[in-house]
Amino acid sequence: MNKIDRAEYQKRLDRITEMFAGMVKYADELSVKRCPYKNRFSECTAQFRCRNQQEPRPEGELLTCGLEDGLDYRSAWESNPEALEKAKTKIRAHKKVRRKKSDD
Amino acid sequence: MAELSEIQNEFIRNEIEEFLEREDERERNINLFARVNPKLQDISAALIDGAHHVVDEMTREALDSGIEALEVMDDGLILGMGIVGIKFRENFIFVPEVLACARAMKAGMKHIEPILSASGIEPIGTVIMGTVKGDLHDIGKNLCIMMLGGAGFVVHDLGVDTSEGEFMDAVEEHGAKVIGMSALLTTTMPNMGKTIEAFIDADLREDVKFMVGGAPVTQEFADDMGADGYGKDALECVDLAKRLLKELKEEAQ
Repeated sequence: MNKIDRAEYQKRLDRITEMFAGMVKYADELSVKRCPYKNRFSECTAQFRCRNQQEPRPEGELLTCGLEDGLDYRSAWESNPEALEKAKTKIRAHKKVRRKKSDD
Repeated sequence: MAELSEIQNEFIRNEIEEFLEREDERERNINLFARVNPKLQDISAALIDGAHHVVDEMTREALDSGIEALEVMDDGLILGMGIVGIKFRENFIFVPEVLACARAMKAGMKHIEPILSASGIEPIGTVIMGTVKGDLHDIGKNLCIMMLGGAGFVVHDLGVDTSEGEFMDAVEEHGAKVIGMSALLTTTMPNMGKTIEAFIDADLREDVKFMVGGAPVTQEFADDMGADGYGKDALECVDLAKRLLKELKEEAQ
């Protein structure tokens, strides 16, 4: 088994990182106009339910996505200030219980 | 200047013809692929196709046949991934296909790892990644895994809906020092905090570092939950994981 030179290997990792970083950056740009779970055949690869999924499809096949590209689907992400505050309250309450437990 | 017909693999020829529209990219890739060992062209083709089982097997065969590991990386895996990048940039393929190709690349890299180890090159570190309990969104996490794997980390993906116990078991099983948790829903975000608390309960908190991320997660939120690091996107996760490992090393001294 031939050995690998560390510096040469690192050069390859740097190249891969550069390529992947470009892809991740583009994925981020694209995500404002196309759902990232939607593949090139307009099928949904998500493991969760989405109202844009269209049924029926033959057993075992992915559901198709009914959403047109160009729409910022991220509005479907639950990140409104009210919900965020609720989550924060939950965390604080949980922390309080934890602190009390450890004090006892 | 090589000719397209000099590339032996038909799939690669078709890919170049069909998807590479920029003349400079066509020329460069024709020149590159034309000089590549046909076995490595086949690996590239399987990678572009996202066929991880095929890449897995072909990479092993190529290495067994005596082809150098760096040549397999350059001419099989990286060259194929270059075509994937172009197809993605030109909207011929999308994130799910890119992730499938990254998975195929990982399947090939798996066979390089023993050679690295024999050469005294150890992975930068081991990271456990998972979407927290109750959350089924995984694109962001998967992009992070792609970045971390590409940078030389060993990554164990626990998938979605990951319980505190599953994170703990994985740390024990793989000896990981960094845990990455993602959440996309504000309702599941508190489960990041619960996981950290579970590690405190089990007296394991000092052994690991937590990095968190996801669309609704903020630095403030991460601090609130007691996480060690927060990444606003997948681009940040590599530097973040490196920083956390460095901190662990410094703390151990």
